[in-house]
Amino acid sequence: MTVILHTLNAAPGSTAFSDCTRLLSSDDALLLMGDGVYAALAGTAAHKDLSNTGASLYLLEADAAAAGILSQTADNVCPVDFDAFVRLTEQFAKQQAWY
Amino acid sequence: MPSPESKSLLVVVRHAPYGSSLARTSLEVALTAATYEQEVGVLFMGEGVLQLLPEQDSTQIGVKNIGKLIASFPLYDLDSLFVDEDALLRHGLDDKNLPQDLRPLGTTAIQQLLRKYDHILGF
Repeated sequence: MTVILHTLNAAPGSTAFSDCTRLLSSDDALLLMGDGVYAALAGTAAHKDLSNTGASLYLLEADAAAAGILSQTADNVCPVDFDAFVRLTEQFAKQQAWY
Repeated sequence: MPSPESKSLLVVVRHAPYGSSLARTSLEVALTAATYEQEVGVLFMGEGVLQLLPEQDSTQIGVKNIGKLIASFPLYDLDSLFVDEDALLRHGLDDKNLPQDLRPLGTTAIQQLLRKYDHILGF
């Protein structure tokens, strides 16, 4: 069972990104949004760091589309719309926002 | 005493004291919850550890002194204060005169802390 839904709204290289990555557990989930979407880019060190945590990875589709990266995201990151984002928040007892 | 149905709250503080209103807002949330006798913890991480510097004097910039706000926590029985020891080291605060009751935690201990509380509010 997953425990904490993390949201990351900060680009790779920020302390928000490194603190979030450091504390993610394999039973957590992470939703990338805002400037956080760049961590979904396939082949980047940031995406590799996130994948190594074993957490379930989600991506806010609207923000990734705005950033122009939707066609370049890694396969293990699941794009979600706003309704699915709300459903994720219902699924988890706790949420931690990194920004 | 907290009522049996009250929930515990962890406030995660990650921003420097005077660059934005986030620091003050996060601490006021913690104080408000403590006033209503909720079980409250505060975790300082990242640039949030800069709020712990002992010699803050904000009179010339005309805003509340964040250091003094934190020093008032024991008056509200807010004594569950935690700090990321990596961030302390990164900002050179590990040998500074920090508030009493502050518990330095490593990565695993912080992961356990996030699981222990019923709710988390991240600032």
